[in-house]
Formats: sequence, structure tokens, C-alpha cells
Amino acid sequence: MGHVMKLEGIEKNFGSIKALQGVDLEVREGEVLALLGDNGAGKSTLIKTISGIYPIDGGQITVDGKAAQINSPKDAMNLGIETIHQDTSLAPDLSIARNLFLGREPVTIPALGVFAPLDLTRLKEEAAKLLKRVGISKNLDADAPVASLSGGERQSIAISRAMQFFAKLIILDEPTNNLGVEETNGVLKFIREVREAGHSVIYITHNIHHVMNVADRAVVMRQGRIVADLMIKDTDLLSLEAIIMGAEPEELAAEMRGKAH
Amino acid sequence: MASATMSSALKKPETTSFIILVLVVIGFTLANDRFLSPLNISNLLAFMPELGIIALGMTLLLTAGEFDLSVGAVFAFTPVSTMLLVQNGGVGLELALIIAFAATFCIGALNGILVTKIGISSFLVTLSMLLIVRGASLFLTQGFPLKSWDEESWIRTILAGSFYVGGIRIYASLIWFGLLSLFALYVLNVAKVGNWITAIGSNRNAAVARGVPADKVKIWLFIATSMLAGLAGVISSLRISSASPVAGSQYELEVIAMVVVGGTALTGGRGTIIGTIIGVLMLRIIRNGIVLVGVPGLAFNIFVGVIILAMLVLHAKLHKSSERK
Repeated sequence: MGHVMKLEGIEKNFGSIKALQGVDLEVREGEVLALLGDNGAGKSTLIKTISGIYPIDGGQITVDGKAAQINSPKDAMNLGIETIHQDTSLAPDLSIARNLFLGREPVTIPALGVFAPLDLTRLKEEAAKLLKRVGISKNLDADAPVASLSGGERQSIAISRAMQFFAKLIILDEPTNNLGVEETNGVLKFIREVREAGHSVIYITHNIHHVMNVADRAVVMRQGRIVADLMIKDTDLLSLEAIIMGAEPEELAAEMRGKAH
Repeated sequence: MASATMSSALKKPETTSFIILVLVVIGFTLANDRFLSPLNISNLLAFMPELGIIALGMTLLLTAGEFDLSVGAVFAFTPVSTMLLVQNGGVGLELALIIAFAATFCIGALNGILVTKIGISSFLVTLSMLLIVRGASLFLTQGFPLKSWDEESWIRTILAGSFYVGGIRIYASLIWFGLLSLFALYVLNVAKVGNWITAIGSNRNAAVARGVPADKVKIWLFIATSMLAGLAGVISSLRISSASPVAGSQYELEVIAMVVVGGTALTGGRGTIIGTIIGVLMLRIIRNGIVLVGVPGLAFNIFVGVIILAMLVLHAKLHKSSERK
């Protein structure tokens, strides 16, 4: 199976703090990759470097077999990488339709630059089509402000926005953090659908049950390094938890090398 | 599309503001029949566009989640520096205006850069800028209003000329206010950048994550607000043929009150140009009407404050009922 993204020796420092110390990671086509680790392990930093929020201090990012420079969120989006943060991905005061196209607005007279008029008809049509395609059960009005939606609906909208632009890689940063049980199940179901539609997913979470439920592979980070890389079908809940919680990095590295060969 | 805009407009905060405006006008008319006299309307319309023009910039800035306390000081600074150049520097009015507006541009750009790049809150940056700019005007003029200046110029005609329509004196500034309102309305509701402005004020991180150049947009909005305040100051100064270093004192608060009374949120994300126009009319009409009704001069601000608070309570209630959580 080919990979959509390859990270080699990624480093990121904040002053004297080494947040990422040589991270190597491959994201394969059409997989759900769970990124695990305690708070401060470097998960968020890693995601922010991939999504263009922090520039990297060292290492190499390869997307689709080509060396990539990711210096801004726009660069990441252009490479087909879409990131969905826990509850910061949508502007609550904008309508669903306007949120779906935020930063990529269809316009009628592009020559006017930022003053170009939005193509409101197309905006609404595409939004309605999209809401239908992603099967959001309730009848949502594309003109309704996002503030009127529930947390689960908001996450679904954010994920559908990523799918709509045929992102190769969708990064979900704790998407179920503030959701109820039913809404969480809705989002998990959605993640499976995203994989079936051929997108790769990096899924960051603290909830190992969710990982066992939807992920194909789990990568565990600690102190800015990747300390374990396991296929979900080869592991179980307890051993995965043990890796996240304890065991010396050296032992885990040894174990990881053993598993890789 | 037009019909959809119309139907959704009925649910918006500016509709409430508009209904209250109508009630206020009816109330004042019943209380004093001179309220709708041509002379009173002329007075209202002479002054209103000057604050209104600043309010348009302030609306866009507030929608993006920032505000500008230096507008009143800029309102004095731009005409004062123009007139100083004309009267003492022997420079033509055209060139003087270009120089003064270049300086005004820099004030706005500096506000924007300090807020976005250094990360100081716009309250502190623009409060300091208020002191600097007001201080500069006072120092340059030694605290005295400039000599009156009444040479004719095509610039005066297009900015502060006037004509009569059925006994009501209409100033050119009203037309400028109208055109700028239309442009601001277009920018906020139809243009691509309007989507960005709302998104930045609503959830800056989300906007940045979507590739919206939030800092750049904010810097340009600070510049636009300063330039509009300068334009309003120049219009006012040409109308009264004089420039005073203390003109526009406390306009910043008056303008912010107009904008929020119209339904724009002080916290960003929700802005309405129509609401601002209503807010501008409302505050001017209330100030004017209260005097006509015979409220004692010193009690006047009590009424204005109470009315503003009542409007804000109403908007807060309406917004809560429409939002989930």
C-alpha cells in the first residue's frame, strides 16, 4: 500500500524545549491512524507542523512522493491536508454554507480580488448537495448559522468540509471531546465512512476504546518521539493502554523494532 | 437570492432596532411638532453623516473582533494638519490633503500592526494612539482652533457642498455616507473578504486554519477606520470652515455606542451595516429629540445612557433565544 505522507526526522523546538525530536511517520493510503500519547507528548505539535501552523525546525515532509514545504495552513490545504480541531474549526456566526467554503469561496468576478462577490447561488447549492451526500440525517438549512447546531452536527460539518475538497489526508484533533455518547458514535461512524470514501485519517484521541473501534493502526508518542507503532489487529486494549501509560521508551523502542521486522 | 435575503432580514437584530427607531420618531413627533420641521431635519442631516462615516469603519472592525478608540482624535488630526499645511505651509489644499491622509494611513497601519504582530489588545493600543494623536493636534496648534478658512475649492464643493430639497438642506456628506454605506454593505455581506471578516471575529483560529490572512485583514480594517475618521473630520472642518484640535472628543464612544445599538456585537463575529445606519440615526435622533422635548440639559446623558442599555439588553435577549447551548 502506498503512503500519502511521509515524515522523516521532524524536529520542532520552542526555545530550549525540544517538542519534537526526530519524528518518523508514514501515513498510508486509506487508513485510519490513531495518534496517542499523554498530554505534552507532542501530538498537537506534530499535527500543527503538518497543518502549517508551526514551521518545522528540521526534517523532511514528503507528500505523494514529493518533498513538500508546509509554511502556512494554505500550503497544507493545497497539498490536500485538512485539519479539524476539537471545536475550533468552524466560525459559529457564519452560516453552514459559508463555513463550508471559508477560505475557498467561489466568486463570480475573480478579478476583483478580495472584493470579488461570492457566488451565493453556487455556495448554497453545493452546500445543500454536500449536506445530502454526507447523509447528515436532520434537515439542516445551509443558511442556518453554525451557532444553532449541536456539537456533533458541527463536527460532522467540519469533517464533511474536509471530504468535500477531496482531501487526501484528514486530521481529526480530538473530535469527540465535548460530545455526548450518541453524538460521539455519530462522529465515529462518520470516520469509518471517510475511510471508505478513500481518505486517509490521522485521529488524535485520549479514548482507547474509540481507537480499537475505528483505527487501523496506532502510533504512540512520548516526549516528542514516537515510541510505538502497532497494527490494531495485532494488539488489544490492555497492551495498548500499557504502552501509553508506562514502560520505558527504550523497551518500547526495542519492542517496536521487533514488531516492524 | 434577493427574496431569501429579505426573509432572513426579518429575523435579524437590525429589524428590532428599526422598529424602535420608528417608535422613537413617532414619540418625538407627538411630543413636539417641531421635531419634523425642515430646519430640525436639516440640522440632523448635517451632523449625522460625519459620525456615520466613522461608524461604518468601526462596524467592520468590530465584526473582526477589534475596536478603535483613536477615531475621535484622528477626526481632529487630519483636518488640523491639512489646515496647518494650507495656512502656514503655503501648500495647496489638494497636496495638503494627500499628506494629511498619508499620515492618517500610517496611524491606522500602526494600530493594526501593534495589535496583530505585537499582540497587544486593541483597547490598549488605540487608547495610547488616542493620547498621541490628540496630543499631536493640540501641540501643533498650541491648543487653539485654526483661523477660519473659507476659500472656495472644488474639494469643498464635493465634500461639504449643500443644496435644498423642499426646504431641507442636504449636504454632500449625506451622499458620501450613502455611497460608503452601500460599499460597506457589499463588502460585509457579498464580498469574499466580508466572509473573512466575520469568520475572524467569530473564531479567529478557525479562519486562520482555513488559510484566511487574519492579520492582514485586520491591519487593513484599522487603516480603513482611520481613513474614514480622517475623511469625516475633513468633511466636518470644511463644512464649518475651521479646524479645531479638540474636535471629535469622545466620538469614539459615541460611534461604538451607535454600532452596538444597531446590533453589531462588541465581541466580534456579528456585524450589520444596516443596523449601524439605524444606530447612527437613532442616537442622533434621540440626542436631538430629548432636547426638543425639554429634558433639562444636564439630565440629558442619563436618558441617552438608559436608552443605549435598554437596546443592548434587548439584543442580548434576542441573540440568546436564537442560539443553542
